[in-house]
Amino acid sequence: MVAFIQSARSRISRVPLPIIIVSIILLIIVAMAILAPWISPADPTRQNLLGRLKAPGFERAGMTYWLGTDDLGRDLLTRILYGAGVSLGVAVLSVFVSTLVGVSLGMLAGWFRGWAEIFIMRMVDIVMSIPAVLLAVLTVAVLGPGFLKLVLVLGLTRWPRYTRVAYAQTLQVANLPFIKASELAGAGAVRILFHHILPNIAGPILIVATSEFGLMILMEAGLSFLGLGIQPPAPSWGSIMSVGRQYVEHAWWIVAFPGICLFLLVFSVNVLGDWLRDQLDPRSRTR
Amino acid sequence: MSAPENVLEIRNVAVHFQGRAGLFGRSAHTVKAVNGVDLDILKGETVALVGESGCGKSTLSNTIVGLQPPTTGSIRLGEDEVVGATGRALNDIRRKVQMIFQDPALSLDPRFKIGAAIAEPLQVRGIARGKALKQRVSELLVQVGLRYEHADRYPHQLSGGQRQRVVIARALALEPALVVCDEPVSALDVSVRAQILNLLVALQKRTGVSYLFVSHDLAVVRHICDRVVVMYLGRFVEIADRDTFFANPKHPYAKALMAAVPEADPERQRNKEGNKERYILSGELPSPSNIPSGCAFHTRCPLATDICTRDRPELTPRADGALVACHHA
Repeated sequence: MVAFIQSARSRISRVPLPIIIVSIILLIIVAMAILAPWISPADPTRQNLLGRLKAPGFERAGMTYWLGTDDLGRDLLTRILYGAGVSLGVAVLSVFVSTLVGVSLGMLAGWFRGWAEIFIMRMVDIVMSIPAVLLAVLTVAVLGPGFLKLVLVLGLTRWPRYTRVAYAQTLQVANLPFIKASELAGAGAVRILFHHILPNIAGPILIVATSEFGLMILMEAGLSFLGLGIQPPAPSWGSIMSVGRQYVEHAWWIVAFPGICLFLLVFSVNVLGDWLRDQLDPRSRTR
Repeated sequence: MSAPENVLEIRNVAVHFQGRAGLFGRSAHTVKAVNGVDLDILKGETVALVGESGCGKSTLSNTIVGLQPPTTGSIRLGEDEVVGATGRALNDIRRKVQMIFQDPALSLDPRFKIGAAIAEPLQVRGIARGKALKQRVSELLVQVGLRYEHADRYPHQLSGGQRQRVVIARALALEPALVVCDEPVSALDVSVRAQILNLLVALQKRTGVSYLFVSHDLAVVRHICDRVVVMYLGRFVEIADRDTFFANPKHPYAKALMAAVPEADPERQRNKEGNKERYILSGELPSPSNIPSGCAFHTRCPLATDICTRDRPELTPRADGALVACHHA
């Protein structure tokens, strides 16, 4: 037990400080998302038209609006807390869906070549050539708006980037002698793809996923702004910011605070992703 | 003693690659990488396959281990025909032939520990598991001069020579009858080459495995091989026992290869330069998609005459037992 604690401590002490900091930021954001109903000072949708666009620190009827109010007099802090769940949820789930779809297709195309390659890579070209917003409008027109549909739309329009990376990486790794050696050892396609190719292409894919993560939050904001995503009055960071954009001259806080949160989230995910990629590579762990 | 048996019999094997036709069906050249070769390898024998880059050595070795199906011909490993076998049958046959690659840094998965890499062939074929698997892996490691502790390391933590030992251990895990060694020492430091070559020889003595040794380094070939096969543009141009070959190479291309080997002794090197002028090859290797008519070597051959541009010479036996494909040698 003591040995375990010691080894855990030495393992933690080897984690660089910036990684610890961004991990704490991420934990705080996740906690905000989960605990929003209990820690919020107000109701996220209760309007107060007399108290619109009030600056941070505004007090009224015994309540302090620490981050001010928005254009309908709702408490900004409460809306940011509730919005964390929506933004985080959409980003995590849509990155998950598009990684799953994109990487599987890319590895299939790169490993089996032939017709699979032609079909999948042409699909990639086609999907990439359709503007995401157009596709989103079409999907929403058919399915109607909603959280899960938003995830589906984002997941199914963003997979081609992963496919291209996974495909190119698979082509490269598949020609290395150690893959030939596995074939000679008698390993089948499934074993080679999951045991040899996937771990060796995970690094670049992780980088794509972390860069897509921030983009997903922004796309959710854009689609919500167009009325195709999260429906008002439910808050998301993106929708708070797109509304606040109109008032930025008089009420900077509506854009600024969710913007800072967004920045911290995306930045933390990118830093952590970069570090994780290095940790995945045994070559960087040499004593 | 029983009669020596063949572990490998290649008959008339050709490997052609169809260049992909363009979008509008432009005619594409067929690359004739291997163009009808016959070869037998005896049990416990080491055969060297020499030739310059692009002559088809690598394609032929990939075909022998079953990674590249031949266009025509037959490849028998012991009793079993490889060509046309599929699925389980092919997998069972493949057990008898393994490969050692040129660059040990690329022949091991950087994310697999050494032990897992050596265990893979035993695992996927369900030959051993659990304790028996560990036992076998440690035996193999010891056999190639490593220790069991190495099983827990990653490839990047080993030196080039150690990595090549691991590759050899993995190739021997299935107790193959034939191991194709594709330039196994050319990526290694000169100081460890001899160690690896000696290891290969020692393992052959112990297990009776045969080697097909693909190389362009004639000094290495002379050290390790029983028989030499010289390949040029997809065909064999000379096949001879080692001593016969090194004493008296006959095909002008084989002579040119020999003349290109530097001597350690400067005096001998100067003598050699004096009389090798005749065998300095001019020009480049012609493209295997456009092989010259007649004898493929005539474009670069110092002895070439009219007949060489018309008739392709067959491999014919000479007085000392060598097989040579040349009109003039």
